[in-house]
Amino acid sequence: MKPFDIVIVGGGGAGLYAAMEAMKTNPALNIAVLSKVYPNRSHTSAAQGGANAALANKAKDDTVEMHIFDTIKGSDYLADQDAVEVLCGEAPKIIRELENMGTPWSRLEDNTIAQRPFGGAGRPRCCYCADKTGHTILQTLYEQCLKKGVIFFNEYFVLNLSVHGSRSRGLIAMNMKTGKVEAFAARTVIFATGGYAKMYWNRSSNAAGNTGDGQAIAFRAGIPLKDMEFVQFHPTGLRKSGLLVTEGARGEGGYLINKDGERFMSRYAPEKMELGPRDLVSRSLETEILQGRGFDSPAGKYLHLDLTHLGADLIKSRLPQIREMTMNFEGVDPIEEPIPVRPTAHYSMGGIDTDNFGRTVIDGVYAAGECACVSVHGANRLGGNSLLDILVFGRIAGHTAAQEAGRFEPGAISEDEVNQQLEEIRSGMHASGHYERYGALREELGQTLALNVGIYREATQLKQGIADVAELRERFKKVRVSDSSDVFNTNLLQVLELKNMLDLAGSVAMGALAREESRGSHTRTDFPTRDDSKWHKHTLATLVDGHIILGEKPVTMGRHELQERTY
Amino acid sequence: MTVSTDHHNEAKRDVTFRVFRFNPQVDSKPYFDDYTIPVERGITVLRALNYIKEHVDASVSYRAFCQAGICGSCGMRVNGISMLACTTQVWEVLEKSREPGIIKVEPLRNLPLVKDLIVDMDPLVGKMTHYSNWVDSTMPEEEMGKKEFLISEEEFLKYDKATDCILCASCVSECSILRANKEYVSPAVLLKSYRMNVDSRDGSHDVRLAELVKDHGVWDCTHCYRCQETCVKSIPIMDAIHGIREDAIEKRGVKDTSGAKHAEAFMDDIAKKGKLVEATLPFRTNGVFWTLQNLLPMAVKMIMKRRTPPPPPMVKPSKGIKVFRSMFREMSEHVKQDHQSHNK
Repeated sequence: MKPFDIVIVGGGGAGLYAAMEAMKTNPALNIAVLSKVYPNRSHTSAAQGGANAALANKAKDDTVEMHIFDTIKGSDYLADQDAVEVLCGEAPKIIRELENMGTPWSRLEDNTIAQRPFGGAGRPRCCYCADKTGHTILQTLYEQCLKKGVIFFNEYFVLNLSVHGSRSRGLIAMNMKTGKVEAFAARTVIFATGGYAKMYWNRSSNAAGNTGDGQAIAFRAGIPLKDMEFVQFHPTGLRKSGLLVTEGARGEGGYLINKDGERFMSRYAPEKMELGPRDLVSRSLETEILQGRGFDSPAGKYLHLDLTHLGADLIKSRLPQIREMTMNFEGVDPIEEPIPVRPTAHYSMGGIDTDNFGRTVIDGVYAAGECACVSVHGANRLGGNSLLDILVFGRIAGHTAAQEAGRFEPGAISEDEVNQQLEEIRSGMHASGHYERYGALREELGQTLALNVGIYREATQLKQGIADVAELRERFKKVRVSDSSDVFNTNLLQVLELKNMLDLAGSVAMGALAREESRGSHTRTDFPTRDDSKWHKHTLATLVDGHIILGEKPVTMGRHELQERTY
Repeated sequence: MTVSTDHHNEAKRDVTFRVFRFNPQVDSKPYFDDYTIPVERGITVLRALNYIKEHVDASVSYRAFCQAGICGSCGMRVNGISMLACTTQVWEVLEKSREPGIIKVEPLRNLPLVKDLIVDMDPLVGKMTHYSNWVDSTMPEEEMGKKEFLISEEEFLKYDKATDCILCASCVSECSILRANKEYVSPAVLLKSYRMNVDSRDGSHDVRLAELVKDHGVWDCTHCYRCQETCVKSIPIMDAIHGIREDAIEKRGVKDTSGAKHAEAFMDDIAKKGKLVEATLPFRTNGVFWTLQNLLPMAVKMIMKRRTPPPPPMVKPSKGIKVFRSMFREMSEHVKQDHQSHNK
């Protein structure tokens, strides 16, 4: 295969925008997108709410400056302010650009793009397409990439970044349809592989494939990961699957009830009740469960989200999607019974450490979207800012890589390197004495993370979590791949994904143990307040000789001084 | 959809999943494996497959990414009908099983088989590309990002439903034309084409339409409605197909393609006689030369089997044809008015 100028890993919003922008920047470049799923399956499609941009279509007095402030405050002042300025400043342009190329936005009466209010935002600035915003954005981007003739390698699973000294030579990936391991020599590589919140498994709202592949590959190649301890939990995930019941259910008047029949939010937010801020409501549910007021089930303890008093008509007309989902995934009709819920890991603020142009510490390697940490979300992401992040920084990474590709030589990847990757896979597949069940390891990883590195964190438990992860990594060496087929070996794929989650989990737990304060999504019961004097900084996790070394990085400040975060 | 509530919450039933198996590396032909597992209420077919893969046979292969009805990866045939495994309740399909206690799980049809329940989606992507399934914006690239197109909610509603499509390929699998002709455009691609063609920001309307009226295109659909009946997002796909056809006749005229001519001949017959004059339909649709060249052997066979339609003079108008004609005129008038108000 001819060496590529740019290879993009991941076909979600960030990867596709990067591909499109790179082709626009320099049409002569040889660009490819590698994705482990067909790009239109990517998890961008799951984002329902919308993307923030101060278009001032709805609230005429909205400004980019206000969007910047809301984002910084939402981040609990851990976001880098120069990066937030880029995010919010580019927002109106990129939303219009998407509109101009055909994204079907919902419309206001004056025929401009519709906007609605969203949590933590001072003005209604969330642009949306009904409740399928991410889906329509992903469709538009995929269509435009097909139009531009972007080369896709669909259903390729990337195994390794080939690094020599301070620069990369490209990637080694497995073609899932054939099982062949192939080299992709490239001048530049962009990681756009999404988040890692699926490591919480059944306690996660994410797609099964959100296993932090890009972060794990970068981590193993020596690239630092930033702020990994920050994982956002959503209050109402379904008990069995972790899938999300959107805030709309509470917005329409749903009650949260414990096993004593109490509307327990009266204890935590007597005025706002069920409509308190996301992190507060999540913590409240977790407290109820921890203090023994949850319901018991084989799938774990849970609480009730009760909609039955709203009546069949309202549920059918206003919450049809939620009703369909709870029936499909929980077997419960919310008209007749309360929905079993518990908090669910939803979004990873941490990721590959990049500058504002998507660059990492290795020449020619870039990252964008949820897999990167610029950082624009700091300790807590605002709703409507995640789609915006993937668009803005996907485009910037694509543009930067296209401009800089000429500086780097396309390194050759040796056959030995490829064979080594193949060997590693084969040794796991055909080894005798491999008895560990992949499903059990994955389940235990999710359990220990939810229990020890979950919403409430405390030193003893975090140490337990770190020890558990280490033990699971040891047991993983004996994991069994039962399917010996080369063609579409999904069993092998699951095992490789588990490896990535196991490689990353330690960085989440260790970051959480080191950060002796409570900030944003990170709540330490033994350090219940924000400690700006010691911890107003990013954590950096780097893998050195198989050990995670923690470092730190200052937060870039700007016009907004540190303040207490109250709503 | 209804959920039966008369069963106890955690009760379990033994269910046999009869799973289609084929690994091209070792199997000369497909076969079925039976897996019997306990399944409680509320479990989906996908979760059952996950259980089988983890606890019984790790080699059972299928795609599943979001596992939440959003991404469209897990399209497969459950008891013969194409659907998403992740949104299908085991207990519900069990009630409709032909053999009690057995649920048959097979790959989608009309796409090349890769392994077990996995089919190759590339042909579908190829067709999306062939039929320009993208908005070709009238705005030059360098102008983009500066200002919005102003689009009415009314226009948005024209393509709103069509943009629900998640390309799960259930419609592709159920399409009766695709079973006979793999080159056929396919329902999903027609739906997307329609979505682009009603978007006022698009500048390639005519190019797309010109491709759609060619062989294997929009006129090949036989209105079996299977695509619409099985659409996992309940999208009115047939409305989109009719929409493209009306558009084609309006923009390109009825003499444009055999499909349009066929539709016109159909209408003529119904208007005049209230029924079809089948013997002359091929001539009026495809012309004398084509018909003699292509259909003569079949006509001979039909004569031999005494299956020929009656000659035109023998086709008498239907009973009550006068009342019917006035109704037909009235309907045509309504359609005309609808079109005029639509185009305003």
